[in-house]
Amino acid sequence: MVQTTIILSIIALILTIINYKKTGKHYEGLKSGLKQFIQTTPIILGAFVLAGLIEVLIPREFVQNWLSKEAGLKGVVLGAFGGMLFAVGPYAFFPIVASIMSSGAGLGTIISMITGWALLSLTKMPYETAFLGIKFYLKKQMFSIPLSLLAGLTAFLIELFIS
Amino acid sequence: MKQSLIIIYSAILILVIAALLIGGGSLLSEGINISIKTAMNSGLMILASFVIIGQLNVLLTAEAIEKWLQKFSGIKAVLASAAAGGLFPGGPYIYYPFISSFKDKNLPFYIFISFIFGKEIYDITRLPMEAGLISPEIAVIRYLITLPIPIIMGLYFESRRKDGSNNNYS
Repeated sequence: MVQTTIILSIIALILTIINYKKTGKHYEGLKSGLKQFIQTTPIILGAFVLAGLIEVLIPREFVQNWLSKEAGLKGVVLGAFGGMLFAVGPYAFFPIVASIMSSGAGLGTIISMITGWALLSLTKMPYETAFLGIKFYLKKQMFSIPLSLLAGLTAFLIELFIS
Repeated sequence: MKQSLIIIYSAILILVIAALLIGGGSLLSEGINISIKTAMNSGLMILASFVIIGQLNVLLTAEAIEKWLQKFSGIKAVLASAAAGGLFPGGPYIYYPFISSFKDKNLPFYIFISFIFGKEIYDITRLPMEAGLISPEIAVIRYLITLPIPIIMGLYFESRRKDGSNNNYS
């Protein structure tokens, strides 16, 4: 995590310099980021509490039988539909996925969960139906379900191959 | 945002009760300790992530992206719109009105579809959180595996447009 923090800090610094040189609106960028950070802090803190509780509550047998590499395709399917049901934004979603992963979930499950959440998450439904129509939303879901499963399956096969 | 807060804090309440019933106060404090440790370890990283998001919000405007999209056609347009989707900053209040205007601007449907899938799959503003909280290796694997999705979707709808079977947004 220290390494990631250093890399992200360097990227943040580079972007701030680029913004200063190109637009001169680097303070605006910092303000925008800080505003978003303050607005999402209650969600992030809540997500950390939730993630900690999931980690101690999730039964090991459940992870072993349903989410681990040994669970096979069950984990991929459960991951994709689980991701779809996570009706939360990225600040809440990623800490929860991290806790599921540290409980022992397999790569296939994690990848299908993230892809399922990115493509199918129920949080998108109100916006997509309002702006693009229910027909479009349903058509998009029809394409997104097999794509999420395929992503999970590919990750599962990679994990099998590596191990 | 409000909806997310309600969901998270309702879920916390349920899990706190579950922890108390299953393992009592010790299991609950074990869970809270993990949360505090994770929050402390990732505090700086999250702050850096938000600086990145803020700078991208200013650097990549909707107007600049729109101008860029109108320059391409065919496979180049698919690749450009998928990349533009991934670079497009902003939450649903900015993003959905922006993509719903594609139809009025007469941008082809395949550009629209690769943009949507690009935003959902590549979203650059999500990358720092994904790499930091899950792991950089898994974020890279996930990006590599899902990289073709917006391109495949764009090419599929482009081929349907050529067939004349899909020329509109309906």
